[in-house]
Amino acid sequence: MGLEPNYYDRLGIPVNASTDELRSAYRGAARRLHPDTNVEPGATEMFLDVQEAYAVISDQAKRAAYDATLPPELFTDPPVKLSALYSRGKIPASKEPQLIYTLLELKPIQGNQPTSHEPLNICLVLDCSTSMQGVYMDTLKAASIELLHRLRATDVLSIVSFNDRAQVVVPGGLRLERSKIETSIRMLNTGGGTEIYQGLKTGYTEMSHIKRPDCINHLILVTDGRTYGDEEACLEIGRQAQIEQIGISALGIGNKWNDEFLDRLTSLTGGTSFYVREPGDIRIFLKEKLYKLGHSFANQIIFKHEKMPNVDLQYAFRLQPDAASLETGNQMVWGSLPREEKLLILLEFLVQNVSSSIDELELVTGRINFKIPGRATLSYSQPLRLVRPVSRETDAELPPLAIMQALSKLTLYRMQEKVRQEIEAGNIEAATSRMQFLATNLLAKGEKDLARTALREAVNIQSMRGLSEEGGKQIKYGTRALLPFNVPSSSGAPEERHHQTD
Amino acid sequence: MITCPNCHHEALDGEIFCSNCGAQLVGHERQRTQAIHETDFPDELKKPNVDAPVSQSKIGSVLALYILDSGQILPLSDRNEITIGRVSEGQTVLPDIDLSPYKAYEKGVSRLHISIKKVDQNYTVTDLGTVNGTQLNGKKIVSGQSFQLENGDILSLGKLKIQTLIRR
Repeated sequence: MGLEPNYYDRLGIPVNASTDELRSAYRGAARRLHPDTNVEPGATEMFLDVQEAYAVISDQAKRAAYDATLPPELFTDPPVKLSALYSRGKIPASKEPQLIYTLLELKPIQGNQPTSHEPLNICLVLDCSTSMQGVYMDTLKAASIELLHRLRATDVLSIVSFNDRAQVVVPGGLRLERSKIETSIRMLNTGGGTEIYQGLKTGYTEMSHIKRPDCINHLILVTDGRTYGDEEACLEIGRQAQIEQIGISALGIGNKWNDEFLDRLTSLTGGTSFYVREPGDIRIFLKEKLYKLGHSFANQIIFKHEKMPNVDLQYAFRLQPDAASLETGNQMVWGSLPREEKLLILLEFLVQNVSSSIDELELVTGRINFKIPGRATLSYSQPLRLVRPVSRETDAELPPLAIMQALSKLTLYRMQEKVRQEIEAGNIEAATSRMQFLATNLLAKGEKDLARTALREAVNIQSMRGLSEEGGKQIKYGTRALLPFNVPSSSGAPEERHHQTD
Repeated sequence: MITCPNCHHEALDGEIFCSNCGAQLVGHERQRTQAIHETDFPDELKKPNVDAPVSQSKIGSVLALYILDSGQILPLSDRNEITIGRVSEGQTVLPDIDLSPYKAYEKGVSRLHISIKKVDQNYTVTDLGTVNGTQLNGKKIVSGQSFQLENGDILSLGKLKIQTLIRR
């Protein structure tokens, strides 16, 4: 955006903030930045900035005069509604570490649906190594042709094939005739090894040439194998792609591909990864992907925030759409908000040394930035501030049902994550026992097949000190597929817990 | 700090599901988990009366366990070694005889509590290194060592009392 942060930005509040929100934000910022508590360089300047902002905004007349100097777009209704549910109404003051969960919901505000569709700029990067030969390659070709025919006249498709090297099979910029593209797809051959970096780089370069700001740019990588030694280079492309606003999604076919790597690559850009167990899945994935790309309300949703004292964002997970664990950090990529579905994010905060002398604890303060197709030149930004009152007594109330349900299923996915970490750290005993616990829990949820797989993998952990390729993936994507779920509507939650942040 | 009722892991305040075993930590409705393994007891020898003779195979001696509180009699199949304990979710090694229907958990019976061996026509009992220990006729037996069993002996597995009925 390139603009200097306005007074509202400095305080972390929306332009229509109430007096209470204003005061709460000011107290929080002052506490954080006061020279007595904060010795970081630049903190004092920031503190004075906040003071200056508060002096104006807290005065009705001065605020009105200031508002008049700001661009009018800021005062139209925000296009996305943000709401938060917390696992606890209050945080008890305590020296001991505690956990608190927040379920964030984003949904488009009715009446703000775009009327035009943005053109898609899609690049398929296809693994043509020897192992793809046969039914997978045939299905991939058929699915790609099907995708081609679903594109609209304004959409652009480019195709890159790779094995040890990569080549542009269908350049996007030329806007070839459909029949020619179809022929090129049919003529794809298999042979050679797998160097994902080559394919990814060529695809990314191709897209950079043809991408336009009013397009939705997305690269879809399809592979069945592992790449060796160039994972870091691929992740670097991922980071670059995120800056350039090119999304990357990946289809992993069979059992040999590196799921940790593809999950990381896709989460960098807010894209999705998908485990293809049988050829039919390829068609389903490409069809759904195309639909989602063309029907999103907001894209490139990024949450920028600063770390609050005594608070650690330990874990973040996108429950819906496309369940995936998210990298925590000052800049979190959340992905896209579909038109017809909510975006649900679960955050886990570790809180320490909550003092009884403060009224409120700030969990996080930041802004959510995103683009809306059809209004792509504007980058939207909405503030998000999560706060809880501090009390001296413990809160004995149960967390809201939506959080219980979300966590209940998420726990299974996290258990398998921990099993993997334990295996990597060499804690075979712990990993085995945890996998057994996971099996029990899966059985209790009626997931008999997954439970059996988990038990088998528990044996594998003990004997092989690792998971089998197939079993590991089945459990990871199987537990991941247990989410999403239907969240009871916001009105179902107890009033005090439901904090609207718009 | 909260202690998980299922696995006894130390969980943090505010934690809703145990990060170790997945059990629900808050709320009254605890998830019930299903045992993955089930032991079957042969039906033939369930007699409520301790005086009733245990009818069994004609060859050699036979041993049955009489659970004092419940009156149940469990025959032991003619094997050389049998482990006795309490089936618990998530364990891969399970005892041959499961005492969980007899309030084993509350009485401090371990998952693998004792083993009973048959050597020639004699039976011996060994405590398998349990937390609550095993008493034979009121005296605690040292773990890992075998002790001869006679007809009418009373074994206490934790607080669960079992009488051995041996017929030679």
